[in-house]
Amino acid sequence: MKISLIRKSLVLLGASALIATGTIVAIPAASAAPTCAVASGVTTCLGKLTAGGDYVIKVPANFGGTVFFWNHGFRNSYTIPGVTAAPTTVQEITPANDTTLKDITAIMLKKGFGVASYDGVSKGLHGWNNTDRIEMLKELIDITGEQFTSMKKKVVYGSSQAGSFLPAFAEKYPSYADAVGIMAGLEPAKTTFASLCDTMFILSVFADPNIKGCSALGVSDARGGQTVAVGEIQKVGALLTTWSQNLGAPSIAYPASIAPYGIPQRSALLMMGLLTGIPTKSAHMDGITPSSKILEQSINSTVAVLENAAVSIVTGVLAGQAISQLTGPGFYDNTKTDYASLLTDAELGRYNLGLSGDDGINLMLATLAAAPRIKGDPEAMARFAALDKTNYSSTKPFVLMANEADRLVFPGNQALFVEKARAAYDARVEKYDAALAAAVTSAQKKAVRATKPVWNVVSLYAVTPDTYTKYTAAGLPDFTAAPAPSGVGHQTFTVPQMTEWVRLLANAATSGKVAPQSSTPYFAKHAAGLSDDPDYMPNELKFK
Amino acid sequence: MNIRASLTRRTFGRVITVTAGVAVSALALSALPATAATEPGVSATEIVLGMQLPQTGAASPGYNKVDDAMRAYFDYVNSKGGVYGRKIRLEVKDDNYKAGLTVSTASALINKEKIFAFIGSVGTQTHVSVIADINRRKIPDLFVNSGYTGFYTNPKKYPTTFGGLGTYVTEAKILGKYMKETFLTEKIGIIYQTDDFGRNTVAGLKSAGYTFEARKTAATFVAGTQAGGLDAQMTQLKDNGVEVVVVGAVASAFAAAVASANKIGYKPKKWVVISVGADATTFQTILLDKGIPLATSAFLLTGTITSSHAPAPGDATDEFVTAFKKINKDFNNGPETTWDNNVLQGMNIAYQMTSVLVGVGKNGVTRKNVISYMEKNAAKITSAAFSPLGYSATTHEAFTGFWVGAYDASTVLKPVGATRQMWTTDSGTGPVTELKWTRPAIGADSLPKGFSAK
Repeated sequence: MKISLIRKSLVLLGASALIATGTIVAIPAASAAPTCAVASGVTTCLGKLTAGGDYVIKVPANFGGTVFFWNHGFRNSYTIPGVTAAPTTVQEITPANDTTLKDITAIMLKKGFGVASYDGVSKGLHGWNNTDRIEMLKELIDITGEQFTSMKKKVVYGSSQAGSFLPAFAEKYPSYADAVGIMAGLEPAKTTFASLCDTMFILSVFADPNIKGCSALGVSDARGGQTVAVGEIQKVGALLTTWSQNLGAPSIAYPASIAPYGIPQRSALLMMGLLTGIPTKSAHMDGITPSSKILEQSINSTVAVLENAAVSIVTGVLAGQAISQLTGPGFYDNTKTDYASLLTDAELGRYNLGLSGDDGINLMLATLAAAPRIKGDPEAMARFAALDKTNYSSTKPFVLMANEADRLVFPGNQALFVEKARAAYDARVEKYDAALAAAVTSAQKKAVRATKPVWNVVSLYAVTPDTYTKYTAAGLPDFTAAPAPSGVGHQTFTVPQMTEWVRLLANAATSGKVAPQSSTPYFAKHAAGLSDDPDYMPNELKFK
Repeated sequence: MNIRASLTRRTFGRVITVTAGVAVSALALSALPATAATEPGVSATEIVLGMQLPQTGAASPGYNKVDDAMRAYFDYVNSKGGVYGRKIRLEVKDDNYKAGLTVSTASALINKEKIFAFIGSVGTQTHVSVIADINRRKIPDLFVNSGYTGFYTNPKKYPTTFGGLGTYVTEAKILGKYMKETFLTEKIGIIYQTDDFGRNTVAGLKSAGYTFEARKTAATFVAGTQAGGLDAQMTQLKDNGVEVVVVGAVASAFAAAVASANKIGYKPKKWVVISVGADATTFQTILLDKGIPLATSAFLLTGTITSSHAPAPGDATDEFVTAFKKINKDFNNGPETTWDNNVLQGMNIAYQMTSVLVGVGKNGVTRKNVISYMEKNAAKITSAAFSPLGYSATTHEAFTGFWVGAYDASTVLKPVGATRQMWTTDSGTGPVTELKWTRPAIGADSLPKGFSAK
């Protein structure tokens, strides 16, 4: 799904959104040999995978033996008129900026890399096809190897949803991945979707009790499910559209217990953002620059939450519906969530004013604590928790890159991957040390030493400039101004950033090792906007 | 790994060679300070420290003098050859009291300036945005200019952070004791900001036996809104017959409260203000911006009760005041060098830091050593304060003692009694008792004891 299309979706959803009555494409029984042609020194092969998705392979005349296999993020199965068109073929051959749509295919081909990509459709549907996509990727690599026998190194890389299955791919088919690249990648879905569902829940408590959120998802029929999901999005869309006009100035009117206290609705909006981890910087809001219209420092961050939520909720709900088709209804349960514990000291201190002070904070948290919770279905919850399992056992080089203020897949996903990979690595080191201590003969020691674990992950973050918010003459946020050049949005990296990421992946595939994290300042010199801080840590996810 | 077991006969010759090489390297290294090659911000000739504060913006008046005062003292130390030959360089970043800028300027200090430690950073709401990250990186975070207990009373949570002020709770308890003994019949009320600062103040007063009734004797506001005036809060206290107003808020709020009270004709018998909110320079600067002349603001401040851990800047008999004033005159190159409490505090932090660097020794300037030294040797860290530092393994609170004073007509804080009497307590439920402690004399040449340039 092109997020750039979704970005303008709220207004449309606020009016009307119809589900297209498209037809499910016929699934070919088996893949056929690709059709190849040469143009301008590039051999391009087209074909169809067994599951029915198209694929593209491009190999330049100066091919050096390394092929990059691109894995796209979430795609919707059905067109929503005026909002998003369901893909019918390959949309990205290489990483592309989701806003500018600039990709780096020409750059990669010029460097002598082969590039390949596929449309991750299975059984006529996109959505949460992770299990199938692992096999699709393997199939594409097999086809490429047969077609281009000079292929020596294979880089599997992808964005967003792909982050939730590429580690499992590397574990299942280690010989098919010499390096793994994850851009704006999702850790196994449960953490992010727990927060997304919380978003809807909190909005239902403070703003619109008609919002059912994730408790409405789980319709087994994909098309019917999407209708339900879009209905939920419409409710949220209407709410956020209103807030974008009045900046949440009116007092919270609902529920009755909180209404008399005159807490502005924007405090509830900010509270929702902080409790769910929605970034407090966005494409146009730097989280710092104050407005002359609203004299409080948190307003910038509050509007950032609004701008980010507009996109994250739309995509998240559609993806949540796709997931619920696997889990069944009831995958979300917040009966045990202690919302007060989700606020950090830094958030309580920094955003105290935006949250209407201690009194406002306490009232809102008390209201959340007293609100009837959503009880999930144990079996669906278990299936949800079991989605996209990986054990972080792959020793292949991993190069990760995320935006500081990714509005959809929060950057804490990347930090969580590193944390879990580090824990797995530490366990391997412990095992290695024990084995070495137990070895008696020099031959035994040599054999053990040959297995010495190597830390093979490097984690890069694109960051924003300090300030970039523009206000109109009336003191309102200027959403027509140029967005931040780096660090915001989802899969919105600059060409130099994507090129540097690919360079690191190519080197890692050749050497079997990633460049050390301490080289981060060096990488940053190659690509403006990459953090030069080797110890940079984004905000943690609310759930792990 | 079992190193001894690996010394097999076959590899013995190679081990000897390697060992010899290591020994030679060790000898070569021993000629240099052990820290020079490895510790960020430390070389054989320099120690780089970093500070964040509002140099500009609405919150800057008064605070924006602290950094120049610190630098002046360090320049003085450098003029004496530096600590064990290392000059101290203070890198300062203006965060405008905006937490987003606090985050980015902290990153710049760490990654671009390569500082050894943070020192004297100003502000609770701003520092709370970076304290976890600074601690995660194990960077010393010393003499923070905030009295919020949450930063210091659980060193397991923030092991590298040490206070630069007494806590708001400690101060409120001591002021509360004074009030109990002084205002026997008066009705007491409070105005406080509904955040960490205000919470600490209320907690301290509760420990002293004071509780307040919401929307009657307790008026609140959200920090940051005081620029619009505090008329409603002052009207509330007036209407409820409050005679003594306690202020648990920053100086701009105290100024706004006084201005509002003045505006509505409310004349409390006394204002009792936590010291951070009662800085005379800040108070008068803010009111001057509102068009209230200095003479008027001095009149409005007269009689205000507050407390301090340090000598009054106007105390010409104090040896630290005399020494620091001279250093300020000779070395302060800041835009505003007028001697006041902010300059004194800045000088004192720099003096304490120098004391710590002297204490860890020439070859001991590591982040780990500095933190350990401060926890174990608080009594050896000398300062201008009339209170010892409370640092230990179980708390990183700074000054545990205060004296209570009142501003006179020339905005000088004078002890409420005939002489200055120090009181001490903790940030918990411990009693307030008289502090019997003698401040160590200032070191020779206004340098901490043991100072050496070699």
